[in-house]
Amino acid sequence: MNYMILLPVVLPVIVGFALLFLHEGVFRDRRGLLKVTGVSFAVSAALALYVISGAAGDRLILFRLVDDIPVYFAVDDLGRLFAGVVVAVFLLAGFFSFVYMSHEKNEKRYYSFYLITFGVLMGLCFAGNLVTLYLFYEFMTLASMPLVIHNGSKEAVMAALKYLFYSFCGAYMALFGIYFLYRYAIVFENPGDALNGTHYYEIAHMMGFVPGGSLDMAAVVESGNATLCLVAVFLMLVGFGVKAGCFPLQAWLPTAHPVAPAPASAFLSGIIVKGGILAIIRTVYYCVGVDFLRGTWVQTVWCILAVITLLMGSSLAFKEKILKKRLAYSTVSNLSYILLGLSMMNAAAFTGSLLHVVFHALIKSGLFLFAGALIFGTGRVKVKEFAGLGKKMPVLFWSYTICSLGLIGIPPTSGVISKWYLAEGCLESGIAGLSWIGPVALLASALLTAGYLLPLAVNGFLKAPLDEEALDKYREPAPCMLVPVVVLAAATLLLGVFPTPLMEFVGGIAAALK
Amino acid sequence: MEFIRNFPFFSILLSLGSGVLTSIMNRKVARFWNTFVLLAVTVMSAVLFVYMLGVGEPYTFMMGHFPAPWGNEIRAGVLEAGMALFFCIVMLLSMKGGEEHIDREIEDTKANLYYIMINLLLSSLLALIYTNDLFTAYVFVEINTISACGLIMIRQSGRTIEAATRYMIMSSLGSGLLLMGLCVLYDITGHLLMSNIKQSIAYVYTQGIYNIPLVASIGMICVGLAIKSALYPFHTWLPDAYGYSTVSSAAILSSLVSKGYIFLLIKIFFRVVGFDIIVDSKIVNILFVFGLLGMIMGSVNAIMENDIRRMVAFSSVAQIGYIYMGLGLGTTFGIVASIFHVLSHASTKSLLFVAAAGLTDASGGSKRFEDLTGSGYRNPMAGIAFTMGACSMVGIPLFSGFISKLLFAEAAVQNSLSKMLPTLICLAISTVLNAIYFMKTVIRLYTPKSRNVKKTEAGEAAIVSFREHPLYNFTLILMIALNVLLGCCSQPIADWIISGINMFG
Amino acid sequence: MGGNLLANYGEAVAMILFGIGFSNLLLQKNLIKKIIGLNIMDTATYLFLAEKGYIAGRAAPIVVDNVTSVEAYINPVPSGLVLTGIVVSVSVTALMLSLTIRLYRRYHTLDMDEISTMLKKEDQ
Repeated sequence: MNYMILLPVVLPVIVGFALLFLHEGVFRDRRGLLKVTGVSFAVSAALALYVISGAAGDRLILFRLVDDIPVYFAVDDLGRLFAGVVVAVFLLAGFFSFVYMSHEKNEKRYYSFYLITFGVLMGLCFAGNLVTLYLFYEFMTLASMPLVIHNGSKEAVMAALKYLFYSFCGAYMALFGIYFLYRYAIVFENPGDALNGTHYYEIAHMMGFVPGGSLDMAAVVESGNATLCLVAVFLMLVGFGVKAGCFPLQAWLPTAHPVAPAPASAFLSGIIVKGGILAIIRTVYYCVGVDFLRGTWVQTVWCILAVITLLMGSSLAFKEKILKKRLAYSTVSNLSYILLGLSMMNAAAFTGSLLHVVFHALIKSGLFLFAGALIFGTGRVKVKEFAGLGKKMPVLFWSYTICSLGLIGIPPTSGVISKWYLAEGCLESGIAGLSWIGPVALLASALLTAGYLLPLAVNGFLKAPLDEEALDKYREPAPCMLVPVVVLAAATLLLGVFPTPLMEFVGGIAAALK
Repeated sequence: MEFIRNFPFFSILLSLGSGVLTSIMNRKVARFWNTFVLLAVTVMSAVLFVYMLGVGEPYTFMMGHFPAPWGNEIRAGVLEAGMALFFCIVMLLSMKGGEEHIDREIEDTKANLYYIMINLLLSSLLALIYTNDLFTAYVFVEINTISACGLIMIRQSGRTIEAATRYMIMSSLGSGLLLMGLCVLYDITGHLLMSNIKQSIAYVYTQGIYNIPLVASIGMICVGLAIKSALYPFHTWLPDAYGYSTVSSAAILSSLVSKGYIFLLIKIFFRVVGFDIIVDSKIVNILFVFGLLGMIMGSVNAIMENDIRRMVAFSSVAQIGYIYMGLGLGTTFGIVASIFHVLSHASTKSLLFVAAAGLTDASGGSKRFEDLTGSGYRNPMAGIAFTMGACSMVGIPLFSGFISKLLFAEAAVQNSLSKMLPTLICLAISTVLNAIYFMKTVIRLYTPKSRNVKKTEAGEAAIVSFREHPLYNFTLILMIALNVLLGCCSQPIADWIISGINMFG
Repeated sequence: MGGNLLANYGEAVAMILFGIGFSNLLLQKNLIKKIIGLNIMDTATYLFLAEKGYIAGRAAPIVVDNVTSVEAYINPVPSGLVLTGIVVSVSVTALMLSLTIRLYRRYHTLDMDEISTMLKKEDQ
């Protein structure tokens, strides 16, 4: 048994809980706390990389929950991709928070839940069947909730409640689907495929993740429940879509993300929402199988929902005045790029979606960290208040500009690649109407993105500041905060210029699905 | 090994006898003796359980000198032994968790009365579990009711007396129906022992002459027991009874007393009437509908509640709805899920009640939500325990509640469409409602209190440290462990339930 | 149907009484009337049992004159059940009455609804 797979899941959780319960006095001062958390961040990330590298083996049945539903971990390429992104953002945002959190209370609690969330996310990435995925999905909601509620204000509590209710509603819609699909799970009898000489696959009904689907669709059709099955899948899509901010259950996202401390917002907006995306990919591509869904009403409705969310998110972001909220709305619209791509159910769109997962995670966390650095340095929150600051903080604002270009999709930044694939996938899909509405919506949304992101950069560099005298106080943020933003901006640029390795990797995943 | 077969009888007699003995003891001795009895019965049940697992066959134990069909009998199978073991454990934990409250809230002169009631309750629960005789079951149902009434009103206040009265009225309605049902059944079959009745009923049912009275009597028994176990809409007494009595009482009442009746009902399904006839008679459909109603309405009421204890009490209404829904599915899987939910709910609800007591202690004795704000920091262990319990109720994986929901859903999808859809939909709605009120509470527990703390009647909210209440905290840890154990090692337990039901056969 | 009812008039009366008792226990507001309802309900059950336990022309199950034929005696169990039932119902009635006394001392009324409203006032 490859119990090593558990390490990056369990260790951060244990350390997190230990931190939570240890008395403040154990760490003599803030430095002591930072040292401990820094080391545990690094160790957790290293362990995660160790598992991602595949050295820890790739399968593990931990124990059986009931009869033939095991808690099962499997490391595949999709999991590796997501885990890699998580590790990158986790480290950078964690590094950033060492300075940022100095002006927040309850720092210890923040780090402990940050660590726990990381562990849970690793579990989510490496989950090998739908029930394990659901387990970590629920834990993810619970573990990330304290991050939202962190400052304890009434607004934060209400946001956290909203977050919880939406998430639970979604999770139970998904659970409903899982219950229903459970009995159609294929009984695997494929000992030849088993690695290490053990017969992991010989488990009935486990709803494991197999490229192309692991449900016995013949049985579904035979039992005459095909319509009901589609309903169940649709519910799962909407349910998991809650986390991914998909219309009609997206309202929590713009409320919950901005109230968290900036590094937590980056983590929430960049990573946690991708948990929903991962769950949808696992459901549609690895459990149900696209062949069953292609051409049904589920696909059409899904596309329409994605397009609606896409335009709505962008327009709301365009209207929003507060920077962090604007970024949160932008998350809504960008996630629906991904969902739109997934709903097309062809290789090109799928590749585009996965690429956009990576790019959006990096860019959006970069943007939120930028917002955090600005708020930390100036105490301002509204977009127009940042006018003229670019002259004082050139590095920070240049990084922001690059990230923005990435999100809009202007070469040579990374965003253009994913959008290219998405548009191509839409055109290829051949769904009546949507095959051209999709690209049009993408284009419109890109324009809106430019509209809501670029003015900040332009005004920052060119416009006169609101109050000249205050300007002298401001300078570039501390290196601890600046470096993560710069790194993320550099990554946006680099992945745009040299996308080939990543594209090959993602292409491999997409190819395996066929 | 034959000696072990006496254990059911010993445990009933021991608890019944010590009920009498306790009346001449003072508080300390009574408490000690009560703990001893509970432990002894736990050990005996555990030994019997292990023995039964080994033997794999049920046995009947002749009470007195008359063989069946005239004498009285005890019957033990693996399910009975396991249930007895579990009930004893939960009762022991609830007693220990609420011990400080018992000492504080009950007058010295009445303390031993409380322990009498507990002993009587234990004996009647054990008798309900083990007996093979319907009329004995009726008598112990009454003993159960009376001692439960005592548990409610031992803490003297207007609310508890009123709750006890309401409880007695509802229970009397239930037992009247139960008794009438039994009499009609006896009239039709001429027997009182379960196994003999079953044979007669199988014969009578194939003959088809007495089907209307037969169904009527089964209906009366089912409705009677449903009323007694507080199935919606017969739950009106429940929130007051659970909300205002002392903690141990509330925990025991919600997790055990109603479950004793439910277990009896399941026994009647399998051992007296025969499951096929029950399903055929469509009575399960009625239980199914009321179960679904209870699931939703209990949660809706809980959401509107502003008192933590009453909220948990209303959640019991919902959970009992789950159990009856499982029974109403009319399949063996449904019954397995229901029995698992009995276990899961018993362990979770006692945990919640005991934890809630710790939280109210840390908030100056107030049970209102405003005063509970931030109490998770003031009594950390109780806060954690409540959170764990809430997670289990909401159905977070790894806790027992998730498994029972999974089992319910599994049972539902094997049913026909007309039952599967309502079940799954109500399960989903009810779970979301659960999540709403439990998570709302948990967040409140961990919201820092604002500066202008409102002084409550019992004084300033105090911080409760871990060391001051070692017993309380230890009990909470054990309860959490029990809950997680049910959630993680559910397979052996489900196997055990299935084999137990087969032994009913 | 009618003939059956006439032949078993005792049982029919028992059932009617049971219904009366049940509805009284359920619907009456006055606690004492509720308790009376409870007793009517229980007594109806005993009437039913007694009626079922007696077979016209047979003797009590005590062997007299060496007559051992089963046909000669009635079944003693129903009578035993009635006795047990009476004991149970007496204790339940006693408990109910004592509860009623307590409530009356506290609230000076026997009306359950009034007591409930008073309790609600107490809370505020």
